[in-house]
Amino acid sequence: MSFEIPIGPQHPIHVEPLMLRLTVEGELIVDVDVDVSYIHKGIEKALETRPYIQGLYLVERICGICNAAHSLCYCLNIEQLLGKEAPPRAKYLRIIVEELSRIHSHLLWLGHYFHTLGFETLFMYFWRDRERVMDMLELITGNRVITSYNTIGGVRRDLAPEAEQNLRRALDYIEERMRYYEKVIDSEPTILARTQGVGILKPEDAVKMGAVGPHLRASRIKHDIRLDDPYSGHDEVPFNVVTWDTCDCYARIKVRVREVYECVNMIRYALDHIPSGDYRLKIPSFFKTPPGESLARVEAPRGELVHYSISDGGEKPYRYRVRTPTLANLLSVTEMLRSRGDYEVYIADVPAILGGIDPCICCSARIVITDEARRRRMTMTLDDIIRLSRERRVEKR
Amino acid sequence: MSEEELLRKISEKFGEKVLEAKALGKRRISVLVSTDAYKDVVRYVAQDLGLEFLSCLSGVDRGDNLEIVAHLGYSTCVLIKTHVPKDSPIIDSITDILPAASFYERETHDLLGIVFGGHPNLKRLFLPEDWPEGVHPLRKDYAPEQPKPLRGGERGENG
Repeated sequence: MSFEIPIGPQHPIHVEPLMLRLTVEGELIVDVDVDVSYIHKGIEKALETRPYIQGLYLVERICGICNAAHSLCYCLNIEQLLGKEAPPRAKYLRIIVEELSRIHSHLLWLGHYFHTLGFETLFMYFWRDRERVMDMLELITGNRVITSYNTIGGVRRDLAPEAEQNLRRALDYIEERMRYYEKVIDSEPTILARTQGVGILKPEDAVKMGAVGPHLRASRIKHDIRLDDPYSGHDEVPFNVVTWDTCDCYARIKVRVREVYECVNMIRYALDHIPSGDYRLKIPSFFKTPPGESLARVEAPRGELVHYSISDGGEKPYRYRVRTPTLANLLSVTEMLRSRGDYEVYIADVPAILGGIDPCICCSARIVITDEARRRRMTMTLDDIIRLSRERRVEKR
Repeated sequence: MSEEELLRKISEKFGEKVLEAKALGKRRISVLVSTDAYKDVVRYVAQDLGLEFLSCLSGVDRGDNLEIVAHLGYSTCVLIKTHVPKDSPIIDSITDILPAASFYERETHDLLGIVFGGHPNLKRLFLPEDWPEGVHPLRKDYAPEQPKPLRGGERGENG
């Protein structure tokens, strides 16, 4: 006998409105349907009605956490249309801010992820250290969250010498803390029990489902836009693409932890080798672009971000298409949540699996369980679902 | 594989069905193909050329026609484009070749009204449940409702 359990649209395991309709047989999930229709804002249409410079402020607000990636992708697109390229110093400054926001995003995700698993101490630690990164972002860009740093033709501010010293100290701190946290993650039986062997996504399925970013790399696929399609001087800055073999939720934690080290090293390298010169081109506020099209891909913290723009020669885009990493990753969630053969998924695994893709779609306390056979509906609160999720014992199979 | 080589291979394989083939810049190529060849070109690029990673699938309103653009590839990105007439925007779904296209096709169906034949679950993805049927916001003839000023010349009920 199967039941349907709707999770969402407002639910504590993810911070934004997303509806998962799970079909369950007992505790076992047999089918899943995803509904993301709650917060479509019509930004693509809005971009068609705005001059390019105004669009920049709009794309930055598509996603608060990935704002640096969105604005970078937008600027790259418009620069491509104009046939211009940012000066070398701007490219390095863009890398520094992009990697800082990646550290901030990964720390946020790690904290949130351990919170959903019931590990509140680690959540507090990660978010405390994330503040240090936010301070650095504020120091460099002038803003804490929406950095407004990238602009068409370069960046808005140059790096102050005293900021560099501060930044290096913060990087040392973050690196030291991450080494400690990695040790905690690897030695903590609760984390291992909740994540190892849970939410397996095989490499071939990951590609088939179009997964991107750390989620794809945790499935052993070595694909990183910074390496495969370098867009902002990434061919000059050495870094390793982190992959992991186990293809489960544990792999997703490890990939993100290891990526933080890579980010730290990239920022250090960029600080050591930053060329002198201009940090932006002089481009007037209102301009027309030649007719044509351009496609920019950026490795955002959550994965590959695609912006595709078509210009008809006017001062507004004819069409502007944005494909965010989460839309690409959602399909693989449906794959991971479906039990088949000896691969079993339980309701208590839902937070771990859904959290694993770093979903960016808001939150509250409601799950309605519909019992078709008994024609009964019961509402579970936030505490119930978290309790269910934490009480789950992992039997050795 | 270089951009020229990719362009040459696709042009040779499909001959006159390739209406336009050009490089868009570093690691970007664009091929416009006839509607009937679209699915075969996608299959060829994904399976024979090994670019099975679908980055994105977009739809564009081109006046009388609607354009579908599939973006494929890890490093070099191949844009496979095709046109369908606006009055009967029907095209074969590519979800059987690339399951990743599933959400993108639903999105394009939602926002531009293109019907993907053979899609297993062509439901609404982004628009709200009460959105009127047959209204597609990304088409150029759709103009969004303009918000009314909160305080205008005429006084409302609350003065």
